Amino acid sequence: MKGTLTIYRRELAGLFLTPLGWSLLFLALLLNGLYFTQYLELTGGNVDESLSYSLGQALPYWALLVLLPPLLTMRMISEEARNGMLEFLLTAPVRDSAIIIGKALALTSFLALLWSSNLVYGGLCQLLGTAPDWGRLWAGFGGAVLVSALFGAVGLVASSLTNTPILAAFLALIFNVLLISISYVGAWLGQRWPELAEAVINKTSIPNRLTSSFLRGALDSSDVVFFAAWTVVFLVLATRLLEARRWW
Amino acid sequence: MISVTNLTRRFSGFRAVDGISFEIERGEVVGFLGVNGAGKTTTLRMLTGYLPATSGAISVCGFDVLRQSLEVRRRIGYLPESVPLYREHRVSEMLGFQARLHGIARGDRKARIASALERVGITDRSEHLIGKLSKGLRQRVGIAMALLPEPEVLILDEPTSGLDPLQRIEVRGLISELAQEHTVIFSSHILPEVEAVCPRVLIIHKGRIAADGSPEELVRQGGSANHVRLEAVVPDAEEALRLLGSLPGVSTVKDCGREGIHRTFEVACEEDLREDVGAVAAMRGWALRELSWRQPSLEQIFSRVAFELEDGQELAPSPAATAGQAANAGAVQASGLELSASAPLSGAGTIEVQGPGGSSAASANKPPAKPTDAGPKRAVFNLNPFDMGANRDLGAPKDAGPREDS
Repeated sequence: MKGTLTIYRRELAGLFLTPLGWSLLFLALLLNGLYFTQYLELTGGNVDESLSYSLGQALPYWALLVLLPPLLTMRMISEEARNGMLEFLLTAPVRDSAIIIGKALALTSFLALLWSSNLVYGGLCQLLGTAPDWGRLWAGFGGAVLVSALFGAVGLVASSLTNTPILAAFLALIFNVLLISISYVGAWLGQRWPELAEAVINKTSIPNRLTSSFLRGALDSSDVVFFAAWTVVFLVLATRLLEARRWW
Repeated sequence: MISVTNLTRRFSGFRAVDGISFEIERGEVVGFLGVNGAGKTTTLRMLTGYLPATSGAISVCGFDVLRQSLEVRRRIGYLPESVPLYREHRVSEMLGFQARLHGIARGDRKARIASALERVGITDRSEHLIGKLSKGLRQRVGIAMALLPEPEVLILDEPTSGLDPLQRIEVRGLISELAQEHTVIFSSHILPEVEAVCPRVLIIHKGRIAADGSPEELVRQGGSANHVRLEAVVPDAEEALRLLGSLPGVSTVKDCGREGIHRTFEVACEEDLREDVGAVAAMRGWALRELSWRQPSLEQIFSRVAFELEDGQELAPSPAATAGQAANAGAVQASGLELSASAPLSGAGTIEVQGPGGSSAASANKPPAKPTDAGPKRAVFNLNPFDMGANRDLGAPKDAGPREDS
């Protein structure tokens, strides 16, 4: 636990001590802000709907989620393996799981900071006269962070697979796209077996799970468990891969 | 303290470490010596638990390295060869991270960090960014990182690589100092360094332990090469061979041929027999030109192991003895450094300098190689690739030295 916290602190510091962290955050926040004003105009000033769009109902959120974690996780294991830092970490008195969890938490915190811009938008709208539904906003924010943790874990798996950072980023990117597009596969299946397709979409589609509960302001435990469980699965996988590297 | 039994590590069919066993007691300072690729780093990595062994067992402080890895890691201070440090952090932050990893109490951290920095002499750099430090300074930060948790065992993988001669001397002093409280294992391919610091040397060659013992012991065991060298005007070589061979304590006499009117003999013997040889020369009225006592240095023993030379063969003495020559030799020497252990050298077999308890007679019994075997090839290795300048003249200009490997 202590080790996890130490790694977490170091990773978070590392993210903010490099220009990469800052420039990604700057670009992402800029995009987020631009799109939010667009949503406001499109929905005719509906603050709640706009915030929902910004937190996952619209494509830009997913684009950021598919792009950012791979770029950040490629540095976390792949690059460290290459420059020898991993040798230091793996001979330090911390468990492999603590290393992975610490890094995953740092990444999730970074993305949470990015999504928290939506809370600021909510606050601004309230100041300007239209109060958002805070419960719904917080639920959406929580959902967004949960999904970010899942994508971060996927990135860490890719990162512990290879010593080439750019390859790790690319692998993670492809996998992220696959994760999101499961629902499209479901839709394609729907032409033949509508019932099966609906089940597949409902059970597996990450965007559907986010939009149908969190963004409506409803905390469905099945969705929370779905995201948390898959995150844990990928974290365990990453830990195992980290262990397995020693044998390569 | 550390016990290693039958340690083997295979990398896709290639045995990097091949069934080595040794014991290291508390407070010992052990130098791992070997050419590049001999298996030093692999062995050290297995000691730290970074690499699992293909077979064999390691116990450190009574804990199994694989099963009780965390216990072992708490007791080891390890400086990997690559000196891993987060470049974006300041020195003090990096040490703070290490202190937290090792669970050093918050109240002690500052004092411990300060003392570690002081020991490696970089107190004034504690607020510098690691990425902006020179290689030598980073190396010191790495040593400070390994020292910080006050580990029972310090494992340093080539701690002096990348340092300038003055810093090398300092690090050597530091290691000797640390030896008083810690068990220190360090690897190097720089001989004089190991000779100066380590009471015990482990020579690793092709994944096996080629020699184990104190430098003096190793030299003694390689003692078949002890000889009195006699250069004199000798009218009758046959008679000289017979006379010198009849001296008590002489094992063999070798006629090394004539140069002008002088003839050179090597009189192999355990003890220094200069007086006796001199007396024979005086009695026969040979005009003496040289009479000297030659003992193999650890360097020669190491070169023999590394280059798999036969007993009689020797590498030519290092031309880097003087600074001026070193300057001229720089380029050639640099290429010598890249020799790997597997470079085909003489076709001769391996000599074995055996550890304590082994017999040194084995090497003495082998016939010396035919000079024709070594003749043409030896010229390539006229320069000693292992002397990386650790014992060179400090007054010489810096750039005159042999290249540092990085």
